[in-house]
Amino acid sequence: MLRSGPVTPALDTRWFDPTRLNILIGVLLFTTFLVINLFRARGGRELYVRPLAGLKAMDEAIGRATEMGRSVLYVPGLSDMSEVGTFAAITILYRLAQRVAEMGCDIDVPCYDPVVMTVLDGAVRDAYSKVGKPDAFRPGCVHYVSAQQMAYVAAVNGYMLRERPAANIYMGSFYAESLLLAETGATTGAIQIAGTDKVTQLPFFVCACDYTLLGEELFAASAYLGKEPIQLATIIAQDWAKALAAAAVVTALALAALGNLALMKWLGAA
Amino acid sequence: MIRRGQLLVTFLVGAAIAALYFIPHYRAQALNSKLLEWTLIVYAFALILGSMSLWNSHTKKVRNRVEGWGYSLVTLSSLVVITVLGIWKGVGEGTPVGTIYDTVNSPLASTMFSLLAFVIASAAFRAFRARSVEATLLLITAIVMMVGRVSIGPIISPHLPGITEWLLDVPNLAAKRAIALGVGLGAVSTALKIILGIEQSYLGKS
Amino acid sequence: MTWMKRLLAIDRRIIFLLVATGVVLPLLHPLNLPVTVTPRVKAAFEAIDALPAGSKVLISMDYEPDIMAELQPMSIAVMRHCFRKHLQVIAMTLYPAGTGLGERAVTLAAKAEGAVKNKDYVWLGYKSGFQAVMIGIGENLRGMYPVDFYGTRLDDIPMMRGVNSYRQMAMVVNLSGSSAADYWIQFAQGRFHAPLVLGCTAVMATDYYPYLSSRQVLGLIGGMKGAAEYEALIDTIGDARRGMDAQSLVHLIVVALVIVGNGALFLSRRAGEAGGPAAGSMVR
Repeated sequence: MLRSGPVTPALDTRWFDPTRLNILIGVLLFTTFLVINLFRARGGRELYVRPLAGLKAMDEAIGRATEMGRSVLYVPGLSDMSEVGTFAAITILYRLAQRVAEMGCDIDVPCYDPVVMTVLDGAVRDAYSKVGKPDAFRPGCVHYVSAQQMAYVAAVNGYMLRERPAANIYMGSFYAESLLLAETGATTGAIQIAGTDKVTQLPFFVCACDYTLLGEELFAASAYLGKEPIQLATIIAQDWAKALAAAAVVTALALAALGNLALMKWLGAA
Repeated sequence: MIRRGQLLVTFLVGAAIAALYFIPHYRAQALNSKLLEWTLIVYAFALILGSMSLWNSHTKKVRNRVEGWGYSLVTLSSLVVITVLGIWKGVGEGTPVGTIYDTVNSPLASTMFSLLAFVIASAAFRAFRARSVEATLLLITAIVMMVGRVSIGPIISPHLPGITEWLLDVPNLAAKRAIALGVGLGAVSTALKIILGIEQSYLGKS
Repeated sequence: MTWMKRLLAIDRRIIFLLVATGVVLPLLHPLNLPVTVTPRVKAAFEAIDALPAGSKVLISMDYEPDIMAELQPMSIAVMRHCFRKHLQVIAMTLYPAGTGLGERAVTLAAKAEGAVKNKDYVWLGYKSGFQAVMIGIGENLRGMYPVDFYGTRLDDIPMMRGVNSYRQMAMVVNLSGSSAADYWIQFAQGRFHAPLVLGCTAVMATDYYPYLSSRQVLGLIGGMKGAAEYEALIDTIGDARRGMDAQSLVHLIVVALVIVGNGALFLSRRAGEAGGPAAGSMVR
C-alpha cells in the first residue's frame, strides 16, 4: 500500500479490454447457436422442449379463477427494467394476459416500479387487443403500489387477504419479501405458481408455492407459453451453450488435475 | 413504421451498451455513465405516472365507498402531506419528511421484515413433511442445518458445525452454481431476444 | 377429527405464538449460549487484526432499517475492533436510509472504545450514484466527498490529509444486504485491487463463498451468527450475541414442530387416515 499524495487518474485509451476476451467469445458462440437454431426453426423443423409442470398449471390456474369468479393476481417482481428477470416477467404476463382475456376472468397486477408499470400496462392492453377483446381490458388493473419493498408487500398481502384471488402468480426478481408474499397467499387457499432468477429466494417459493420455475425456467417460460418456433429455438440455443459450458468446466478440471492450469486461467477461474 | 423505429432504437442502444462492456476507453465509459444518468431522468418522469396511477386507484375506492375505503383515504392524505412537506421543507435528516421516515416508515419496514420469522416457522411446519424420498432428504437436511447453524448446535454435537459447513460448501454451492449458470444463460438469451427484436411484448400497443 | 389430524391442521396462530415466546423469553432472560467461531469470520477478523496501527479502513454500511438486525451489530463490532487496533475508520453509506443507522453505529462504537471524531474516524455520510461512487473513490475521493457529513472539508480533517483513493487505504469493509457487495468486488477489488472484507445477510452469504476461495474477498461475516462470532472474537456481548439466544430457541421450536408434524403424519398413515387439510392454513 502506497502512502503517496492524491491520485492523478490515468485515462484508459484502450479500445478493447483483453481480460474480457473469454466473455466476448462466449457471447459470440451463444449468438451463433441462437442464429443456427433460428434457421432450424424457420426451416420448419420441430423443436422439442420438455414440459414444465408450473407452466402447464397456469392454464389450470386461469380456469380455476374463471370458474370461481375470482381474479388472477400477477406479481411481476420487485425490480426495475435493468433486471433481466423483469423482462421475463413482462414477456410471461403478455402471454398470460392473452389467456386471461380469452377465458374472460380478471387480472390484477400491482407494480413496484413506475417504469415497469407503464410497460406492463401497454403489454396487457396489447394482449387483450391481440385476442380481439380490447374492450374487456379493465383500466387500472395494472397499477403502481410503492417503490418501498415492505410497503409493497404489505399492500399486496392486504389485497390477497381481502380479495382472495383464485390464483397467485409470482414471476420476476424477488428478494426478502418472497416468503411473506407466498405464505400469505397460501393462507387464502389460492393456487400459487412462482418463478424467479434470484437463487436465494427459490427455496422459499418451493416451500410455499404449488409450482416453482427454477432459475432459467423463468426465462424459458414465455417461449413455452407462446409456443412460437422462433422462441423455442432460443431455449435450444441455451441448452447448447450450457452443454458447452459444462464441457469447458470438465475439460478445465481434467487439465488442472494433470497440472495444466491454462484453460482454467483463461476461463477466469484461477 | 413506429414499431420498426422502436425496434431499431432498442437494437442500437442495446448493442451499444453491450459493446461498451468490452471497451475501457475513457470516452466510451463516459458515454456509459451518461446513459445511466438518462435512465435516472426517465425514472423521475415515470414516478409521476406511478403517483398518478396510485392517486386514481385510491380515489376510485374512496368515491365508490368500497370496503376499506378509509385506508385509501389515509394513503391519499399521506401522499399529499409528504409531497407538500418535502417541497416546502426539503428532505433529509432533521426535516419533517426525514423525521416521518425515521419514526414511521423505518419501524413499519422493520416490523414487516420481522414477520418473516413467523411465516418461516409456519411454512417449515407445512412444507417439511416426509411424503417422498426427496422430501425426507430435504427434511433431514433442514433439521441438521437449523440446529447446526445456531449456538445450541455445538452443544448437541461438536460435529454439527462441520457438517453444516460441508453442506453449505459442497452440495449447496454446487446446486447454486448450476442454477446460476442456467440463470446467466437465460438472462443472455432474453437480452439477445430483446436486442434482436425477437421478443416484442415489452413494446405494448404500437 | 382425530388428534393427529388436528395436529397436522394446527392453526398457524399457535405456531406464531410459540415463535413469539421463543424470541421474547431469551431477550428477557439471556441464556448466554457459547458461540463457535467459523473459519470465514475468523479470516475477516485476522485480516483486520493484521493491519498496523494508523492504517486507514474504509467501511461502507450499505443497508437500511429493515435488515439492521443482522448488519448493525456487525458494523459496531468491526468498528470497535478497528478502534481497539488504533486503525483510522472512514465510514460511509450508499443508501439514503442508511445514513441514520451508519451514524449511530460509528458513534456507538467510538463511544465504547474512546475514539475521537476526525482523529480516529470520519463519517462521510450518504452519496448517491452507487457504482459511480465506488469508481470515484478509486480515482478522486474528494470529488465524491468534498466535505464530511457535518460539512467539514476533508482537507481540514487531520486523518484525511493525503488520503484520496483506495491506494491510501489498507482495507475496504463492505457491510450490505443487497447487490452492493457485488459492485464492491467488481470495482474496489477488481479494478483498484483494494483488499476487501464483506459482511452480509445470512441468506446471501453462500453467494460469496467462491470469492473467498479465489481470495478476492479476505473474509466473510454472514448474518447475525457471523456478527455474534465477531463479537465473541473481540470479547464483547452485543445485540448479535443476545439475538443468537433467541434465534437458537426459535430454531429448536421449529425443529420440534417439524418433528411433531411428521410424527403425526406417520401415525395417521399407519392408522389408515388421509393426510388431512394443508397444515397451518387459516382457511377452514
